Amino acid sequence: MADLGNLPPVQRRRWPVLLPLATVWVIALVPPALWLVHRGDPELAVRLALAGSTWTTRTLLALALLAAAALLLFPPAAAGVRLAAARTRRLLASDRGPLQRALADLQHFESAARHLDAGRAAWLLDDGARALVHLRRAIELDPALPAAHHQLGLVLLRTGHAAPARQAFAAAERLDPGHAFGDALLHQGRAAFRLGQHADAVELLRTHERRHGGGRRSQLWLGDALAAAGDRAAARAAWSAAAAPGRLTAEENWCRALARVRPWFGGRA
Amino acid sequence: MKSLWEHADEIPVTLVILIACWTLALVTGLMQPDAERLAAYGWLTAMQVADGEPWRLVGYAFLHGGIVHIAFNTSMLAAAGPALERSLGSLRFAALFLGSAVGGGIAVCLLRQPFEPVVGASGALFGLLGAAVALFLRSGPHALSFLHFEGPRALLAMLAANLVIGWLLPFVSNTAHIGGLVVGFVLTLLYLSPPRRPSPWLGAWRLAGAALAASLCFASLLPVTRHEWLWNRSVDSGDAARAAQLRRAAAMAWLRQPTASEADVERFYRTIVEPDDAEPDSPR
Repeated sequence: MADLGNLPPVQRRRWPVLLPLATVWVIALVPPALWLVHRGDPELAVRLALAGSTWTTRTLLALALLAAAALLLFPPAAAGVRLAAARTRRLLASDRGPLQRALADLQHFESAARHLDAGRAAWLLDDGARALVHLRRAIELDPALPAAHHQLGLVLLRTGHAAPARQAFAAAERLDPGHAFGDALLHQGRAAFRLGQHADAVELLRTHERRHGGGRRSQLWLGDALAAAGDRAAARAAWSAAAAPGRLTAEENWCRALARVRPWFGGRA
Repeated sequence: MKSLWEHADEIPVTLVILIACWTLALVTGLMQPDAERLAAYGWLTAMQVADGEPWRLVGYAFLHGGIVHIAFNTSMLAAAGPALERSLGSLRFAALFLGSAVGGGIAVCLLRQPFEPVVGASGALFGLLGAAVALFLRSGPHALSFLHFEGPRALLAMLAANLVIGWLLPFVSNTAHIGGLVVGFVLTLLYLSPPRRPSPWLGAWRLAGAALAASLCFASLLPVTRHEWLWNRSVDSGDAARAAQLRRAAAMAWLRQPTASEADVERFYRTIVEPDDAEPDSPR
């Protein structure tokens, strides 16, 4: 079971907000700054404006060229854009109602199931810190709730805390073998891979494949684990299975696109 | 129209705007407006705003260029205004209309030709449409839930169609439309209809938005890198050295090069200021 006392804090990434905010401030500061320069030297103000306009154009052109080069040199970039768009759409289209209802319910009566609902809803709205609080409380109230362990593992793995995530997935799998159609086992394998425990990862992912069948993501992750464990031939076979064409969701398509180019990069995940 | 009559007592601002538009249309000439009167009553050109007439940033939104223009705009206002005014409240609606008009005007000042006149409420009306989209984003269980309904989808389609029409017709200022649309959307999202559970970043975004708006207003009133403005300031300047500096800066801005010789200034004068005049002693 995950060590609930020492779970790391999960914080929202600040740069997706800070970067556009800083850009707005920089743009807002340009006209007054140019006016101040103009008061002393009007020619310098014009020179600065011309240079700024030239460099802005050049930067935009360079970014366009970089994007084109990225698409040529790293074909999964297009699949990555599709995945990012799908995630943004999911974030915008995630219903705020379940979180509000769960929080309102919790004010009347506290239960593990309600904390789980709140944690799950918060995570869907990309609020990892809030999700962690509720999932921890759900497990404190009912340590035998596999869904809470599974959800906690997902939050921790996505936020880069592989060790407690692996413990959480293991607890979910122990409490309910095959939990969430094998998703807990699959992510346990991925967490083991992230921790550098490659043999364990191969074992867990093979078990998952045997019991639940393989998908694009599980095949890609199995290939990564096999390559890291030194079995290049098996890794290529797994990647090849993951790279087969088909109509896929954005996430599966991302895994398929990555699997297609894995052998180019010597199997580095 | 039906809602205009049914809720006339609840929508004073919409009615005032409608009356103001039609009154000014009658004064300036309903069928064929008189250009001199339009200029006197507040048409918008970037240079007039920069020459100390900032009220034109609002005034142009109440003037129209003919009966078709005013009929189209006021029918759109009559359709969208009542619902929005009742939803936001009269004071906020007034702030939205005027703010969107200023936003459209600033976009025209910064991006269009400096002597090109603009009239019409369409920039402000696009602001109302932007505000409606912002309210839709806030209203449902999630941000995109309004797309499940036919009304909001039709509004988005109308918005897109109007933007396309604006691009196709040369006498329509799509710059004002887009400026008004962006300002109406942002104004409603950040200030007029904030979320019930505000995020910790809302205050920072409000501050940044206000700073950007103030800065763009400043750039419209003092376009220190526009060659027309620089030349006019050189004419007004009593200091000969300063005037020479401003003329060189004007020539640099026109030529888009980092230096300007006396020959460049002369060329600028002959080409832009007084193409028919031989001596550079009496600029425009």
